[in-house]
Parts: sequence; C-alpha cells; structure tokens
Amino acid sequence: MVHHMLPVAMAILAGTPLVAAALVPGEGAPDVAPLDPDEFERLLRPLLPKAYAIALHLAHDRADAEDLVQDASLNALRGLATFRQGTNFKAWFFRILYNCFYSSHRRHGGDQGMLGLEDASEHYLMLRVMESGADLSGDPVADTVGRLQAEQVSAALRMLPEEYRVVCTMYFIDDAAYQDIADTLGIPVGTVRSRLHRGRRMLQKQLWALALDQGLVAETATAVPGGTP
Amino acid sequence: MMHHQRPHVDRYTCEETARRLDDYLDRELTSREMEMVREHLETCAACAGGFAFEASVLAELRSKLRRIAMPVDLETRIVSALAAARLEESDD
Repeated sequence: MVHHMLPVAMAILAGTPLVAAALVPGEGAPDVAPLDPDEFERLLRPLLPKAYAIALHLAHDRADAEDLVQDASLNALRGLATFRQGTNFKAWFFRILYNCFYSSHRRHGGDQGMLGLEDASEHYLMLRVMESGADLSGDPVADTVGRLQAEQVSAALRMLPEEYRVVCTMYFIDDAAYQDIADTLGIPVGTVRSRLHRGRRMLQKQLWALALDQGLVAETATAVPGGTP
Repeated sequence: MMHHQRPHVDRYTCEETARRLDDYLDRELTSREMEMVREHLETCAACAGGFAFEASVLAELRSKLRRIAMPVDLETRIVSALAAARLEESDD
C-alpha cells in the first residue's frame, strides 16, 4: 500500500499544487470521483485532536505540533485526488501527517532523542518497584506511573530516540496494530515489533527515573539479578 | 489400525511465555499462541503477576498519553487555512 503512495506523497510533501499532485498513471489512480472538499473537512475535523496529540510527540514543542497538524491538513486537501473513497480516511490522513513530520524533521536535521539506546531489562519497572520495597499487594503501578502527571509521561515519550518515538506514539496514542504502523511508515512489521519492544523498555526506564526524581518511590536498596541498573 | 499420536509438546515454558509478553498483550499472536500463553498464565502465578503488571503499565500510559488537549483555537485556524487554500485554488 505504502509504495503505491510514494510518488503521490513526494508530490504532496513538495507542496505541489492539487493538479500537479495527481497520481502517476498506473500507480493506483483512483477509479472514483475525488472526495468533495466539504466532505473532506467533515471527515478531518474529528481527527484533529488525535492528530495534535500525535504531533506533540513527534515535534519539538506545541508550536511545531500545531504547524505540523496544519501543514498535514493543507497537504491532505491538496492531495485529495490520492484518497480513494471507501478506504480508511484516518489512515490516509495520518500517513500524510507522518510524511510531513519526516519532511520537516529532515529539513531541521532530525534528532536522536535525549535517551541513550542502551536497553533496559524485561520487566524493568516491575523489578525496580520490587527492589524499592513497594507494597506489591496493593496497586504498585498506580503508586508509581499513576502518580506521574500526564505531561511528565508525555515528556518521557518525547525523549525516546526518533525511530522508537514514532512507533511508540502510533501505538500508544492511535492504538494502531503492528501491521498498520508498518504500512504507514513503510517498514517491515518485524521492525515495528522490535522497535516497540525496545521503546517500551526505554520508556519504563525513563518513567522510573522520573518517579525517583519526583520522590514518588524510594531509591533502589538492593540489586536484582538480571536487572539493568 | 494403530494410531501414532504426536508427543504433547505444545506447552510454553516461562521463558517462551515471557518472549511473547508484548505480542500477547497487544493480541498480535495467532489464536493458538494466545491460547498457549493463556494456559501458561493460568498455571504460573509468577508469570501471571508479571503480565498483569505490564498490562497495568500499558493501560496507565495509554490513559495519560490520551489526555492531551488540543489548543482551543487550533481547529478554527486549520479550518480557516483550508478555506483560504480552497479559495486560492479556485482563483488559479
């Protein structure tokens, strides 16, 4: 699916006007009338809050996130001819959103996130909670992650290196299945799986550090075999 | 007629179950694999505790990450930008 979209996406990303952004013959040209702009707007508006939540975890700050959603909306309007009526509008629009992000990101030189790539162990958070002597008979997740502010959790996600952050953002905010993430990003599903797996561990590590900083949990008293410090 | 039954090997160990932790929580396993993980969790309290913890972390993260509110005027600005773009397009 994605490779059919590439010529179109390239044109859209280049800001090519609507007419010139038309499909390359033989590259999946729509066999039905293009979506009416009013109908486009009707379908787009309910998606904007989620698009913004996604953009906020891709872009550097709120202003960049707002620009990203607006650019994606305008590019989608210009590229209406690429949308096949009856297919998944949300997937189509979010693909444009991610393409806009990558395009803008590359212009700005990209970033590698603020976290190192070293892996955290499996069950990182649980092992740290156990080490801290927390009451496991209660609700240790509510007592740790649950006490962090939503903005702090969001900041932790934004600190992941880009390739992990993008996949984790789609997963957590859009609740996307592995195959949908793979299709949107044009990467193998196995790559999605491994990035998500590693990204989750990195996120747990960051959340634990935050919980320590906030004084929500005690410092680790003893080392747990197999656990990464 | 003699039946040769295949040995019953379709039980996951703790290690095999742990390897499928994320995929199980995300329902990305085949139905047979889902069933085998479930069977293991029903008989292994240690693995069941670990899976329950991870599931709870995921639920908590999803809940927090989805609370982000869009700026109140963003939709209006986008709708205005779209209207301007349509006008520009029709003028060309």
